[in-house]
Amino acid sequence: MSEPSPDVYERGRGMDAHNKVMREIRGLKEKHYDPHEPTRVWIDEDNTPSGVYQSLTIILNTGGCRWARAGGCTMCGYVAESVEGGTVEHEALMDQIQVCLDHEEENAEEKSPLIKIYTSGSFLDEREVPAETRKAIAETFSDRTRMVVESLPDFVDREKLDDFVSEDLETDVAVGLETATDRVRRDCVNKYFAFDDFIAASEEADAAGAGIKAYLLMKPPFLSESEAIEDMKSSVRRCAEYAHTVSMNPCNVQRYTMVDELHFRGGYRPPWLWSVAEVLRDTADADAIVVSDPVGHGSERGPHNCGECDDLVQKAIKDFDIRQDPSVFEQVDCDCKGTWRAVVEEETSYAMPLAK
Amino acid sequence: MTDYFEVHARDGAARLGELRLSESRTTPALVDDVVSDAGSLWAAERDAPEGDENNLTVLPHRGFPAGTREEVKESFAVDYPDTDYPSAAVVASDAARKVGADAYILSDAHGFVGHAAAFKDSVIEARESLPADTALYLSGVATPTNVATLAYAGVDLVDAKRARVKGFEGRYFTSDAEYFLEDLDELPCACSACLGGREEFTREDCAEHNENVLKAELATVRRRIRDGRLRDYVEGQARHDVWLTAAFREFDQQYGYLEERTPVIRDSELTAATEDSLRRVEIQRFAERVTTRYRNRFDTPLVLVPCSARKPYSESQSHGQYHDAIQFRAHQASMTSPIGVVPQELELTYPAQHYDSVVTGRWSEDEKRFVTEVLRRYLERNEYPRVVAHVPPEGYRDIVERVEKEVDMPFEYTVEDHPTTTESLANLASTLSNEPKYRKREREHNTVKAIADYQFGDDAGDALFSDVDVRMTSRYPKLQVRDGDGEQLATMVPQYGVLSFTLEGARVWDASDAPTKRIEIDGFVPHGSVLAPGVVDADEEIRPGDEVVVDGPKAFAVGRAEMSGPEMTESTRGIGAEIRHVEEK
Repeated sequence: MSEPSPDVYERGRGMDAHNKVMREIRGLKEKHYDPHEPTRVWIDEDNTPSGVYQSLTIILNTGGCRWARAGGCTMCGYVAESVEGGTVEHEALMDQIQVCLDHEEENAEEKSPLIKIYTSGSFLDEREVPAETRKAIAETFSDRTRMVVESLPDFVDREKLDDFVSEDLETDVAVGLETATDRVRRDCVNKYFAFDDFIAASEEADAAGAGIKAYLLMKPPFLSESEAIEDMKSSVRRCAEYAHTVSMNPCNVQRYTMVDELHFRGGYRPPWLWSVAEVLRDTADADAIVVSDPVGHGSERGPHNCGECDDLVQKAIKDFDIRQDPSVFEQVDCDCKGTWRAVVEEETSYAMPLAK
Repeated sequence: MTDYFEVHARDGAARLGELRLSESRTTPALVDDVVSDAGSLWAAERDAPEGDENNLTVLPHRGFPAGTREEVKESFAVDYPDTDYPSAAVVASDAARKVGADAYILSDAHGFVGHAAAFKDSVIEARESLPADTALYLSGVATPTNVATLAYAGVDLVDAKRARVKGFEGRYFTSDAEYFLEDLDELPCACSACLGGREEFTREDCAEHNENVLKAELATVRRRIRDGRLRDYVEGQARHDVWLTAAFREFDQQYGYLEERTPVIRDSELTAATEDSLRRVEIQRFAERVTTRYRNRFDTPLVLVPCSARKPYSESQSHGQYHDAIQFRAHQASMTSPIGVVPQELELTYPAQHYDSVVTGRWSEDEKRFVTEVLRRYLERNEYPRVVAHVPPEGYRDIVERVEKEVDMPFEYTVEDHPTTTESLANLASTLSNEPKYRKREREHNTVKAIADYQFGDDAGDALFSDVDVRMTSRYPKLQVRDGDGEQLATMVPQYGVLSFTLEGARVWDASDAPTKRIEIDGFVPHGSVLAPGVVDADEEIRPGDEVVVDGPKAFAVGRAEMSGPEMTESTRGIGAEIRHVEEK
């Protein structure tokens, strides 16, 4: 179904078109970034198979996703936040790690047992993060309990994962699967791999003694609210077979993306928080931890309801993330739920969005 | 081939249509209950739908919402199947293409409804790229406030999705406003959803109410199209929302789009009650024809008089008084807002005897400028030995004085304070006392030729009726035109002020230098009407209501167009022209 590398994979007219448009849109961005600073770092709390931990989340600035340089995903603006022109050297990457450790020391009382490293690309791609750097980072965090690293399925390789597993870290690969529906991933998200590649990566991780955390995207462009909900319900269930944790995240409108252009012209609305709650409630019986972290909730560019109840529903989602108890959603209600029901019932992909 | 939609009547770009399902529906209308969606190809592969005659099946589609770039639209374009059941295809307004469906849904409607210029561009672009005899469907955008303007622009099908969702959001619609439900201390409506009263009224009720009002508004719109009076309604109703006013004004700037679709004759009243009336096709077309086609054939002086409320003018008391003073010693033209200048020969011609306007004696600068411009162009084209301005001081006099400065003709003013005072009328009579009277024959000939000029083109009157020894029979306004042998050529139709030809007249027309509007038909003999599929070719200049020659291998006929020339050639349904006389070959 798919090719092994994003460099050679620009298949079909649809993907060519998406890539051409995304390259043009990204070309509008002029900002450049310091290769010695991480893109972002923060401290949070996460639910994992071995319990809830304090986590240190690092968005490493690696020069960005190579797929995004070809064009890339229709909703992803992170590439625009990467270093201009390509590779970041080992020393610079280690400087970024140091900035993160300093951040942790200043902002947390103790070291976080859980370290999560994202690159908005593939941490396991050695053209992004050289083997030397990967090994050094594994050593740096060898005193922690769990480790999550982001990667496209292509780069998941038992030897690379062994760098972490051999340090006695419970290791997970975070894979941006986005959806289990190949058609939606290809045509709406513009991601080049197939669900089969995700399965293969999960088998590879399993062989290395590592696990998979699947990331899903709710409501890519071109889907109606009800199509987006159905896509997520089936995706959560399908990837629960291969991932111990599923993070189902509503799309938000990032600058310099196709989603941004559609949103600006009135052709896209991020999903309702009610939709997120509905998917979590419906898939609570799936055999995986299912969490969601709505970014920019309550804002026009993020997942939102009516403006009155957004914080409340967000709180219920966060509560569900930790406790996995769907009854929390029975505790929240609002007048706008009627509007949401009408939208789910009436919105079609040829007449959307039906409500703001 | 459109099997399941037919346009029965046109009022500008608006159409009264029929969605021919097993239970047929008159449009513009809601279609929520008869639409069956075969699904989006973005979300999943789809089987070819079964389809049936009870529903309009939305074929499997990829919707391109507002903001989708060109490359994406091209690459993901869907191949629509040919179906033998009623079907709708989803297209983007700027990438609309003919695929054999009965209806077309514009997937980017949410991006342009609410933005006047974008709305105008999108609807016109879609309408011009899609066959005329297919329905245009805008889904998820109609409200009781905007639906009249949507229909005015040429939209045939809508649904209640948006009105209902707005109801759930606590927005209460009337045809003229959108309220926050919580601000209403009483419900300004008596529909079934509102009968329970304010206290009991829920958001579900509000959704139902909005749909009820939308239905009622669509019934008003259909009635207005039948009456040929949607524009009159929209000029008033659209005032309640500035984007809607901006929208129909945007369309007024697209004269070509509206003119092609606007009938040249109507028997209904035209109410000119706003400044926007000046920019209506009917008004602009009349002024255009009077100043580029019409030609004065009298040698007498010109008397400019004010219009009268009563139509035709000659039946009014004031014009009776002018007539008594003038006594066929001058050519008379009425000055009026918003029509401009109406020469006496055209006082019956649509819309000269059909309009009614608000008369307060207070002229706006726009009105003055318009009438000034028409009068100036009129006098540049038509030379008179003298111009007598028998007009009142307010407005009229100002206009005449503006024009006097720009043309090389002597002007005289005969009104003291009001045109119908004894003194003013005496002035008028005495200033013409030495002028010779023209004869009835001259008056009748000039009238028929003037109408021919107006109706068929510059110099058409002479091209048609100069070579033969034309005689008039019957009495004005039902003049009959006969040739030297007594054969009838044409009749003047009093209710529209136009000529209608006999077969012999049509032959004279066809052979003359006057531009002929011709419809070429297949090898059949039309009786009653010519249907669009039988039309092989039609003059692009044909407008609804135009006199037309119908010619084919088996028949020669004359009649009146029911649709425009372009619509005839591209339609596969509907009546192209009504036949008056036909002869087998």
